Amino acid sequence: MPERTPHTEVEGAESSAFVAWPIELDGVTVRYPNGVVALNNVSLSIAAGEMVSVVGLSGSGKSTMIRTINGLVPATNGTVTVGPHTVTTLRGKALRELRGSVGMIFQGFNLADRASVYQNVLVGRFAHTATWKTMLGMASSEDREIVLRALDSVGMLEKVWGRAGALSGGQKQRIAIARALSQEPEVMLADEPVASLDPPTAHAVMTDLERINTERGLTVLVNLHLMDLARQYTTRMIGLRAGEVVYDGPATTATDADFEAIYGRPIQSRDRLGK
Amino acid sequence: MTNTLVLPPKPRTWPRNVGVVLALAAMTLLTTLPRLGGVEIDLGSIARNWSNAAERIGMLLQPDLSILPRTIEPMFQTLSMAIVGTVLAAALAIPLSLWAARPTNPNGLTRRAVRFVLNVVRAVPDLVYATILVAMVGVGTLPGVITLILFDVGIVVKLVSESIDSADSAYMEGGRAAGGTQTQINKVTALPQSWPVIASQVLYSLELNVRISAILGIVGAGGIGRLIDEVRGFYRYDALSTIIIEILVVVLIIEVVSNYLRKRLR
Repeated sequence: MPERTPHTEVEGAESSAFVAWPIELDGVTVRYPNGVVALNNVSLSIAAGEMVSVVGLSGSGKSTMIRTINGLVPATNGTVTVGPHTVTTLRGKALRELRGSVGMIFQGFNLADRASVYQNVLVGRFAHTATWKTMLGMASSEDREIVLRALDSVGMLEKVWGRAGALSGGQKQRIAIARALSQEPEVMLADEPVASLDPPTAHAVMTDLERINTERGLTVLVNLHLMDLARQYTTRMIGLRAGEVVYDGPATTATDADFEAIYGRPIQSRDRLGK
Repeated sequence: MTNTLVLPPKPRTWPRNVGVVLALAAMTLLTTLPRLGGVEIDLGSIARNWSNAAERIGMLLQPDLSILPRTIEPMFQTLSMAIVGTVLAAALAIPLSLWAARPTNPNGLTRRAVRFVLNVVRAVPDLVYATILVAMVGVGTLPGVITLILFDVGIVVKLVSESIDSADSAYMEGGRAAGGTQTQINKVTALPQSWPVIASQVLYSLELNVRISAILGIVGAGGIGRLIDEVRGFYRYDALSTIIIEILVVVLIIEVVSNYLRKRLR
């Protein structure tokens, strides 16, 4: 990795005190108002700077689990700790500040299609900007710089003034990654980030996430339902079935039998993305 | 023939349908029987007063164009009332629409409060506003403009907030995950996202305003309506005809322009 050394130097100069955050779930249960128990007494800890995949079928609770980490879904029981914060006790401003340190990307990209790419990435600066400044449309030159650098790092700088809705799926996910990066987060969450993308684009986005982990050193937690992506891009894999952890171990050496245990059925061809 | 299809039991819908038909029939009956408080409609009066009507229709068919120069100033007054009313109403309606829609205002209490107030505002007919306001602030364009603002805010907020409610708002989660306040999310993402709907409804309210402000003058709220009231008072139906045609032309022009603009917005 010859280009990594200068890159880390630049990173070091900007934020010399950068330390990724660990994530800890302790006996977390989520029961939705309709009575569905999406997560049942889940305990796990993820070290700072790890790249972890959460694998499971749809309905297994992986979307719920990743949302308890930034408090988008409140835990009914148990505690979630991210870095110095106990997420489950945070409310209001403190919760928004924590979310500012946790980047997140989604299956459906969650961009405002009619707003410009620039505006969409500026969303990542919300937690660092006073509401009245946002109201007046006053982005600081520092925010502007961060937004443009984030767009450049995902190779989308030339689209900055275009509409987000005019882009392809892969490009939209890159914009979403830039939005998350512009938060300058300590942790990156990804909820099925490649499920609506074609195979080559999916690999490109996974490579972006891998780079965020190796070059910037962020803790990355990515929900996947495809076994080959989990094996190829992540070091540790957590298997969820019916809201419970059924596997926790290395991703590269996970056997087909391990995946069958996670899925609760024999492997099918749609469990792999292919090349 | 071994695998006959096993259908789930079909839900019975006929009792409900019969109920609906019976309810409609009962309502029709109740509203048409004068003894039961229904309205009395005497179609015979059309025939009895026909000679009267024919004379007036005759006058309407021969527009007196000599009134035209006198209509120009009040017509411009009507147009400027309509435009000023629309602009001020839009400025009020944009924040109110965001407060009245669920995705842009998750707080049920304030959302319901805004909706309730606007339901009340919308329930009062425009001519009632104009009559009361003329009594309060005096004859002229001011009561007319205030009437138009109240009327526009009512409909624009209703239509825009309902369209925000029904639109896909997944992008909100992106802003929330980034730690944004609701106000920040609304300003940077919800507003550009709803912009076409807002612009379209505001243009629509401009169309309505031209029509309404033509009438408002009848109760003293300024504009061409005052002239309508005057010529009608003197039974100058030929002049009235000219004014009606003029209003029609202006409304059509505004409609064509706003239709064009609304198409461009999509």
